[in-house]
Amino acid sequence: MSGFFENYGFLIVTIVQQALLGLSIYFPLMAGQLSLASIGFYSLGGYVAAVMGTHPALAPLREALGFWMFPLEWLGALVLSVILGIAVGYPALRLRGIYLALATVAFVQVVNVAVLNMPIAGGAVGIFGIPQAFESRLDYIWFFGPLFLLALFLVWRIGNMGRGLAFFAVREDELAAGAMGVAVTGNKVTAFVLGCALAGVTGAMSAPFLNTWNARQGTFDASVTCLAYVLIGGSRSIWGPLCGAALLVSLPELLRPLKDSRMILNGIVLVAACVYLPQGIMGGLAALRARLSGRGGAA
Amino acid sequence: MDFAWLLQSLLNGLSIGSVYAVFALGYTLVFSILGIINFAHGAVFTLGAYLTYALAVGRFGINGLLADVTMPVTLPFVPALLVGAVLSGLAGMAVERLAFKPLRQRGADPLLALVSSLGVALIVVNLIQYLVGAEIYSFPADIFGDLPMAVIFQIGGKPVAVRTIQIILFGASLVMLAGLGWFIGRTRGGKALRATAENADTASLLGISVNRFILGTFFISGLLGGLAGTLIGVSFGVAGPYFGVSYGLKGLAVIVLGGLGSIPGAVLGGLVIGLGEAFLPSDMSSYKEAVAFVLLFAILLVRPQGLLGGRLEQKV
Repeated sequence: MSGFFENYGFLIVTIVQQALLGLSIYFPLMAGQLSLASIGFYSLGGYVAAVMGTHPALAPLREALGFWMFPLEWLGALVLSVILGIAVGYPALRLRGIYLALATVAFVQVVNVAVLNMPIAGGAVGIFGIPQAFESRLDYIWFFGPLFLLALFLVWRIGNMGRGLAFFAVREDELAAGAMGVAVTGNKVTAFVLGCALAGVTGAMSAPFLNTWNARQGTFDASVTCLAYVLIGGSRSIWGPLCGAALLVSLPELLRPLKDSRMILNGIVLVAACVYLPQGIMGGLAALRARLSGRGGAA
Repeated sequence: MDFAWLLQSLLNGLSIGSVYAVFALGYTLVFSILGIINFAHGAVFTLGAYLTYALAVGRFGINGLLADVTMPVTLPFVPALLVGAVLSGLAGMAVERLAFKPLRQRGADPLLALVSSLGVALIVVNLIQYLVGAEIYSFPADIFGDLPMAVIFQIGGKPVAVRTIQIILFGASLVMLAGLGWFIGRTRGGKALRATAENADTASLLGISVNRFILGTFFISGLLGGLAGTLIGVSFGVAGPYFGVSYGLKGLAVIVLGGLGSIPGAVLGGLVIGLGEAFLPSDMSSYKEAVAFVLLFAILLVRPQGLLGGRLEQKV
């Protein structure tokens, strides 16, 4: 068993880390909003942690706090993400349709250009030698694991209270929800900002985990990958993001023998999943279960 | 802030902005018919540049499956540009068949079409990388034959350079825009296209073969994308298989700025962003790539329907 963790531990930690990014897209999707911003907040959160962890001016603070510096970094990322999330989300979410997706694409690009030009972020080279929280990278499961459980709990809890019903009402029909007295824009912004905050904190935890942080953490490709976790895993099940992340993170490892052509296969998997598994893996499993239990072929 | 600088920036902005307009119209056409953004458009743009390069120059570098391959025949630039654009149009049709039609026929969530088109983009871009590697391909300087690289005018004692490529960008874009305007406004096919955009169900009842027109729209969209890719590629070099991604995203800013689904809006949006980039002071030039997206945010704040978009109605 120990051999298993030595070989696959890093993969498992990465799956949980990526599933967190998937969940950060799941939050706005609960209210029917497509956001591609997660990777931008993830990148910013990582920079917050990287700067707080390495900047010489903060050395006394780091010495005084010791390990507690890490929670402070998460808090910094959280505050920044919430403020920026509201600033980005509010103008775009007053509108219906695809505008949030487009505004968040723009946000990711602006973040990328900005960090490349800010001296404090280390330009194209990025920030190196970020202090580690643990000796072994496997131990980072103690960062990501509890955060993942907390996020899952939040999703589950929200789904079972008035706020969740408001989200679902907005997702199904904004106009009808508004007519029933649901604050449409407010609920959309709340769902979006929850996702931003989660992505920001995940970034702050990931900077020590990856040891270096640079603008390549926040590319458009990466934000598409996050979206794919949710849609391939299943956008209507809280296990969807984990399921999708597990598949898409391990797929390149499994396909390693294919070398250069494996990204092509990755694309084919994306298209095939959209066409043949429109409800994602979890949706497909639910349909299968319904069929096996003999209550008619829902699929 | 002298007159020569003003003139030079205006020239630079108009030539690049007109290519943005041509490219963004590819998004607009598909959006106005399906109400969906085709995220594979940037990949078709890249493909167009590579296809024209293959046809006109016909030599590949040292990486990828086609390392050191030379094409048996090469075409002069203009035919290569046209053939490359037509092939890109066919690629656009393939995108529709692979990523959009299967989902549309099942009435799937429009968000899925976004992901499936991104999937197709991933396939195209990585296929290019697999075949010809990630090298930078530049068109040779003599691609336009004996035309000079640039003509330099003296205005108020300061030089203003009119590069040949700028004239070609602007001219080719104008021809494309005029052709498209004529097709949509003056032909029966264009009328059917407008009817389909207005209401696909009604158009279908009136005897318009909607699926055929959707396919045709993707052809024109791919054609515009491939042409824009070639023009940018000739101008700045074909900087690896991913070079279309940033233009693809910039194109989104163009259509939001102009107004989603508006054809004159896409043209205006392209020109505004091109000019915005050109007039950026030189000490801020490292922020050039952010101009389009900052404009996108600004328009969402003050006029969310875009410069030329109609009122955002809520139909019940």
